[in-house]
Amino acid sequence: MTLQQTSAPAIPRSGRRHDRQRFWQEVAMIAPAVLLLATFLITPFLLSFWTAMTNQPLVPRPTPVRFVGLLNFQRVFTDPLFWTSLWNVTRFTVWVLPVQCGLAFLTALLLHQKLPMRNLLRGMFFLPAITSMVVVCVIWGTLFQYPSGPLNQIVGFLSAGAIQPIDWLGDPNWAMFSIVLLSAWQAYGFQMIIYLAGLQGIPEELYDAARIDGASALRRFWHVTMPGLRPTHVFVLVITTIQAFKLYTQVAILTQGGPKESTETVVHYMVRAGFEEQKLGYASAVSVILFVIVLLIALLQRKLLRRFDV
Amino acid sequence: MTAQLGNRLLRTLLATAALLGAAGMAEAKTVVHVMHQGDPGWVKAYGDVAKRFEEANPDIDVEMIYAPHDAYNEKFSAAVMAKQLPDVMELDAPFLANYVWSGYLQPIKPLVDQDLLDDMTSSNISQGTYPIDKDLYAIGLTDSSVVLYGNKKYLEAIGARIPKSVDDAWTREEFEGYLEKLSKLEGVKWPIDTFRGYGIKTEWITYAYGPLLESAGCDLIDRKTWTASGTLDSEACVKALTMMQTWVKNGWVVPTSSGTNQFYAEGQPAALAMGGHWFYAEAAAAMKDDIVVMPLPKIGERGVSPNGTWIWGISATSENPEAAGKYLSFLLKDKEYREYAKTQSAYPGLKSFAAESPLYAEGGPLAVAFEQASKTAVARPPHPAYPTITSAFMQAVDKIFNGGDAQEALTAAAKKIDQDIEDNAGYPPFDEQH
Repeated sequence: MTLQQTSAPAIPRSGRRHDRQRFWQEVAMIAPAVLLLATFLITPFLLSFWTAMTNQPLVPRPTPVRFVGLLNFQRVFTDPLFWTSLWNVTRFTVWVLPVQCGLAFLTALLLHQKLPMRNLLRGMFFLPAITSMVVVCVIWGTLFQYPSGPLNQIVGFLSAGAIQPIDWLGDPNWAMFSIVLLSAWQAYGFQMIIYLAGLQGIPEELYDAARIDGASALRRFWHVTMPGLRPTHVFVLVITTIQAFKLYTQVAILTQGGPKESTETVVHYMVRAGFEEQKLGYASAVSVILFVIVLLIALLQRKLLRRFDV
Repeated sequence: MTAQLGNRLLRTLLATAALLGAAGMAEAKTVVHVMHQGDPGWVKAYGDVAKRFEEANPDIDVEMIYAPHDAYNEKFSAAVMAKQLPDVMELDAPFLANYVWSGYLQPIKPLVDQDLLDDMTSSNISQGTYPIDKDLYAIGLTDSSVVLYGNKKYLEAIGARIPKSVDDAWTREEFEGYLEKLSKLEGVKWPIDTFRGYGIKTEWITYAYGPLLESAGCDLIDRKTWTASGTLDSEACVKALTMMQTWVKNGWVVPTSSGTNQFYAEGQPAALAMGGHWFYAEAAAAMKDDIVVMPLPKIGERGVSPNGTWIWGISATSENPEAAGKYLSFLLKDKEYREYAKTQSAYPGLKSFAAESPLYAEGGPLAVAFEQASKTAVARPPHPAYPTITSAFMQAVDKIFNGGDAQEALTAAAKKIDQDIEDNAGYPPFDEQH
C-alpha cells in the first residue's frame, strides 16, 4: 500500500463546452440544498434582523407595528437580567466543557481498546445521548429531590450523614452545577462518538513505528494520539461551546431560570420575552446578539487553537 | 427484498389514502374544535362529555385539543399565528382582557342557553366580563379561592385560635406568632406550605400571593391609571414581600423542590397550607378529621382572597359559533361532569351547582372559601397587559424568596410592566379608562 503518491495524476484537458456542462450539473446537484437552506435558514435569519428593529408582537394586535430602530438593542443591553443570563451561560460553558469533553474523551479511549463485547459497550455508553433530554430531565429531577431524593441519600450515606441534604435545584448556589452534571451526562455520548471516529482515523502504522522506536504507552499517547486528534479536538470544543451557549431545555423543564435567576440563560430569556411576554421584536434582538456572540467565540477559538497548533 | 418493501409501502399509502377519503366524507359534518388544559382526571371527564354530546347530536363532531397548563398561553399564541383558533377554548380568567382586546373572542350571551346565564354567580359573571364593553365573553361551571388549611393536632398543641368565619380571620401578628410557635413544635418540619412546589413560572404565584399584597394595601398595578410604578414597587408591597422573604429565610416555608404534598404526606411535616380549594379533596382524603379550613389571614386592614379560574369562551373566528355554544351549554349542564367536579372539591360558579355542593354549603367544610367570594375576593387586574404583569411578578417573587432585595426586584418588575404598556400605546382604549 502506497502512502504517498509520487506524481500527480494527469488532469484530463477538456473543452469549454465540457466545462459548462459540468457547471450546470453541479448547480443542479447543489440547488435543492441551497434552496432549502435559503428558505428555512437564511431568510428567517435575515428577517430576524429586520424584526429586531420593530416592536413586532408575537400575534397580531390592534396597535400598529412600528420601526423602532435600535431601541430593542438598547433595552436588552440595559436589562440587568440579560447580563445575568449571559454570565450564567458563560459559567455553564466553562464548567460543562471540561466535564463533558473529558468524560467523552476518556470513554472514547476506553472503548477504543480491544475489549470483549466492544460494540455492545459502545452502544451502552451512547444510550444517554439518544434519550430525549426531556425524559432525562424528568428522571434527574426525581434524583435531585430535596431533602430525601436518591442523590441526597447517596451523599448522606457516603459521608455518613456529615453532609446535610443539598437542595440541588432549589439553592441558587447549586442549581447551575446540578444542571451541568445532568447535561454532561446526557450529551457526552455525541462527543464520544466523534472522538472514537478520530481515534480510528489515526493509522495503526504510526503506532507500530513508535513501538519499534521503543516509545512507551504514555509517549505513544502524547506524540501519536494527541497530534492525530488535533482536528477532532477543535471540532469538539467548538461544537460543545456552541451547544452550551444555547442551553435551554434543561432550564425550561427543571428550574425555569430560577432560583434567583441563577439558571436564567440567554435562550430561556429570549423565549420568555418572545412567547410569554409576546415581544417578538425584542426576542429577535436577543437572538441577533446571541448569534454575534457565538460567532465571535467560534472564530476566537479557531484562531487560538491554530496559534497553539493544536 | 426491495420489491417487497415497495409493495408494503404502496399498501400503506393506499390505506392512508382510503382513510383520508373517509375523513373527507366525515368533514361534511359540523366539527367543533375544543382546546383545553387540565389534570388527567379532568381531561378524561371532558372527553366523556364530548362523547355524550356527539351521541345526542349526531350531526356534530367534537375534536378535543389538549394543551398543558403551564404553557397554555404560549400554545394559544401558536394557534393564533397558525390561524387555527379552536371554536371553543378554555382560558384562564385573568387573560380574558388580553384575548378580547386582541380580538380572539366573541360575546357568548347570544350563543349559550339563557338559563345558564341566569344561573351564574356574580363572581363568575365578573371573571367572564370584559371591562370595556361590559359584555360577557366566557362562562364556567366553577370559580376558585385560596384558603388556609391547618393541621388540627398541631394547632391545638400551640393553642391557636381557630377562626370560624371570614370576619375573624387571623391578623398578621397572630399569623406570624403561630408560625413561629409551630416552627418549634415537635413533628413540624415546616410551619407552612405555600405551594412553592408548583414552580416559579406558574400563575399560582400571582394568583395566591397577589392577594397578600392587596391585603397589605398595595397592588400589582394601579387599577385606575394602569401604571405599575408607584404601586407594585411602593413601600407597602416591598414590606409585604419582605415579610414573606423572612418566612422563607426562617425556614418556615416548604421549599420548591419538596413537592406539593408535605401537608398530608407521611408524618405530616407541614402544619399549615395556603392552598387552593382543589387541594381539599386530596388533603381531606388523607387527613380525615384532622384538617381545619380557615380564611386567609389579614396582612393589613382588610382580608383579601383571590378568585377566577379556567373558563370557556368561543373564538371570534369560529365557523360554527352556534354549534360551539350548543356544546358549551351541554358541557355545563352535564350531570356526570358535575359529579366528577364534585369529587375534585370544585368551587361552584353556577348557583345550581352550589346547591348541589354540600362542601360549600352553610356548615360545610369549605363554607369559609365560599364566604370569601362575597366578602374578600379581588380579581386579578383585568387589563390586556396581564401576560406581562404576571410574568414580571413571578420573576420578582422568585428573586425575593431566594434572598434578593425586594425593592430592587419590584422596581424592575414595575418598570417591565410599564414598558409593555407603553410599547402597546397604552392598550387603547384602556388608556382613557380613568
